[in-house]
Amino acid sequence: MSRFVTRAVSRAGRRIRPALWALAWTAGLWSALAWGWDQDRLTESAAKLSPRTQAAVKAMIQMADHAAAMPDERDRLAAVNGFFNQRVAFRDDIEVWGQIDYWATPLELLDKGAGDCEDYAIAKYMSLLAAGVPQSRLRMVYVRAQFQGRPQAHMVLAYYAQPEAEPLILDNINPEIRPASLRPDLTPVFSFNGEGLWSGVGATTAGNPLVRLSLWRDLLAKAKAEGF
Amino acid sequence: MSLIRQIWCLVLGAVLASVLGGVAVSTWSLRELLQTQAQLKNADNANALALALSQQKGDAELMSLLISAQFDAGAYESVRWRDGGGAQVFERHLETPQVAHAPRWFVALLPLDVAPGVAKVSDGWKAVGEIELRGQTGYVHEALWRATLSTATWLLMVGVVTGVAAAIVLSRLRRPLDTAVRQAEGVTQGRFETVLEPRVPEMRKLTSAMNTMVVRTRQMFEAQAEQLRTLHHQLLCDELTGLSHRRQFVAELNSALERDDGPLRAGLVLLRLKDLQGLNQRLGHGATDQALVAIAQALRVYPEQVRGCLAGRLNGSDFALWLPAPNVVGDTAQALADALRAGLQNLGSGVGVALGAVELMRDQPMSAWFAAADAALAKAEQGEGVVLELREAPPSDEVAQGERAWRALISDALAQQRSRLLEFPLIGRERQVLHLECPLQLKLNPVGEFEPAARWLPLALRHRLSAEADLQALALALQATQQDQRARCVNVAPATLNDGSFIARARELVQAAPAPVRRAIGLELAEPAAVQHFETLQELGRQLRPLGVQLGLEHAGAGLAQIDRLFQAGLDYVKLDSSVVSGVSADVARAAFVRSLVVMLRSLSLKVYAEGVTDALDAQALWDCELDGITGPWASAQEIKP
Repeated sequence: MSRFVTRAVSRAGRRIRPALWALAWTAGLWSALAWGWDQDRLTESAAKLSPRTQAAVKAMIQMADHAAAMPDERDRLAAVNGFFNQRVAFRDDIEVWGQIDYWATPLELLDKGAGDCEDYAIAKYMSLLAAGVPQSRLRMVYVRAQFQGRPQAHMVLAYYAQPEAEPLILDNINPEIRPASLRPDLTPVFSFNGEGLWSGVGATTAGNPLVRLSLWRDLLAKAKAEGF
Repeated sequence: MSLIRQIWCLVLGAVLASVLGGVAVSTWSLRELLQTQAQLKNADNANALALALSQQKGDAELMSLLISAQFDAGAYESVRWRDGGGAQVFERHLETPQVAHAPRWFVALLPLDVAPGVAKVSDGWKAVGEIELRGQTGYVHEALWRATLSTATWLLMVGVVTGVAAAIVLSRLRRPLDTAVRQAEGVTQGRFETVLEPRVPEMRKLTSAMNTMVVRTRQMFEAQAEQLRTLHHQLLCDELTGLSHRRQFVAELNSALERDDGPLRAGLVLLRLKDLQGLNQRLGHGATDQALVAIAQALRVYPEQVRGCLAGRLNGSDFALWLPAPNVVGDTAQALADALRAGLQNLGSGVGVALGAVELMRDQPMSAWFAAADAALAKAEQGEGVVLELREAPPSDEVAQGERAWRALISDALAQQRSRLLEFPLIGRERQVLHLECPLQLKLNPVGEFEPAARWLPLALRHRLSAEADLQALALALQATQQDQRARCVNVAPATLNDGSFIARARELVQAAPAPVRRAIGLELAEPAAVQHFETLQELGRQLRPLGVQLGLEHAGAGLAQIDRLFQAGLDYVKLDSSVVSGVSADVARAAFVRSLVVMLRSLSLKVYAEGVTDALDAQALWDCELDGITGPWASAQEIKP
């Protein structure tokens, strides 16, 4: 853990900005993703990968189905948070993907078995949507994390039971789900989700070369193709 | 559709399609680009504004101020801030919507679909709603319209340049193509003409092949004509002198006397080498032959130089010269006598030639001609050396009435249409009528009889009224054919072709008739026309044959072989003169001559008919010679199948 943190510090300044640029690209696909995933297509996409990955994807689908059956959304949060925190090891993008910043789809995350903070947040976000949590209650949040006495660039998933309520934080550094007030180590900077975006663009992105211009868009296009 | 027109359509279609397609594609992709740019601007600005608002610690006043500042400083249509429940907290929008300076239909045709930029606003962990932002898009249509106009202008210019280039290339292609087509049409119409080879390789090959074919056809024709000349010479001419022998001369003279378009008065000169036997004994065979050849040479000049003149050797010592013109016999006979005196001088004295020359009305029978000429000859024989005896009949009363009166009579008859057509059938092998020969008759005296062409045509010719008469005959024939649908043909005098307006007027007459009637009409000219007015004859064919009218030569004989360019004339049929075909049943040589004439004419895809056939045996012999049809007294007497 200490190794990760050192590296995370070293690139903190660089990371926030490109990520914010990428935010500009949250168009379209989010709305399509908001209604969960296509299980058959997801299985089909996984079939091209290793048996271990296939097992992991199967487990993810089962977990989401199981979570969807839970009456209390807090229980769903716990199931999803636990699943990814346990299965995925934290490693830098430069090690996993050979790039300074890479936003992986849940399928890629499970295939590699490793990822960094935004990969956790993305996988949890998509799984919760699949488990029937409304999109309006979820936000991806850029935070400044005070970790071991040093500020870090970090991303977490926030759950708002009501629009004005205090959110619950799903994090990979601290695997326990806590209300925001109990996380003094985190300072929120900016949040977003897939809400309020027009639906017309979703269908046209496939042929649009501009999709490839940002990490975020790239991720969403890949995820959609995989069945999310 | 013609080839050139098809290519034109293709070029125009391609240019039009590329201009329209180019404008459409460029406008469409420009619209896509502008739309994407506007969308990007919305999304980016919404995110940037949301990021700034998220740093204001939830101070609504400050956030509203920020929104106002952003709205006022930028080009926005609207900026809205909604809270988490969707209720509007603060909003700014443009009061007067922008108007695009582009046609309304253009705006309607290319609607812009620019989504607003949306981003979430938060205050620490607290969500405080979202920002929805729309940029101004009115300028997009204006820019799009201007770009479309300039693209269209440029592409149109390129299109025009392409069109002009295509026109130049096509016109260069068209010339050789037209030439080749004209040549091909000429060949189908029996005009074998060579043309210049064009530079376009494909067309050059085609034209070269056509030219070769035409030249080969000509060579074949010329070989046949040459053969025919030889045959003619051997069969119908006197061996020693090369002039027509008696039977041939009499047949030719008979035809000349019966012809409608001959002169009113004509001349006949008989020559006799005196004391042929005595000369033979005194000078020997060779010198006598020399004398005979000298006479023949002096005579031959006339038929060679003047169309219609006839020369022949009637028997061992007698020669004859026919002059188809009035008032020339005296001078001609005098010149002939002078020429003979000079020519016979070196054969020594004692060689005497008697000349008897007469000028009579042409309507006299042949016996009268010979009787008169013999009488003059007998008188001349009484002298020594070369002696000429000339007798001219006094001018007839009718001619004496005065030229002006005649002209008035004829033109009145034509103007008042006191005219009718006679009908003589030309029948085929099956006794079916192929067409009716229709000579024109005029009633010169309003209360008198209709009179045949032989009486008035020579005068009409002299007064240049033959074109009027021929046109009237054509009009009558068209009328009659329209009523009974029977094929007819009318004569055109060679002199008529001198009238510059004849062809145009004939074309007008024919064009007014329906197509089936036109196809049943034939125009025929005497053989000399093919020599004297060859160009006009060709022009007549070019103008009238495409309308369906048939064109033929009548009174054709051995002279056919002398028409150098018969293969270029463009004819449909030839009628062989009675002087060629009469007596064919009794004369194997003549039959052979007729047969080879038929072969030669057939090779030019002409139909061959015989004229003036009087005898059933002759008719049978002519059918054996493969003729297509026969006319004359025998044909008129046949029982005719409809």
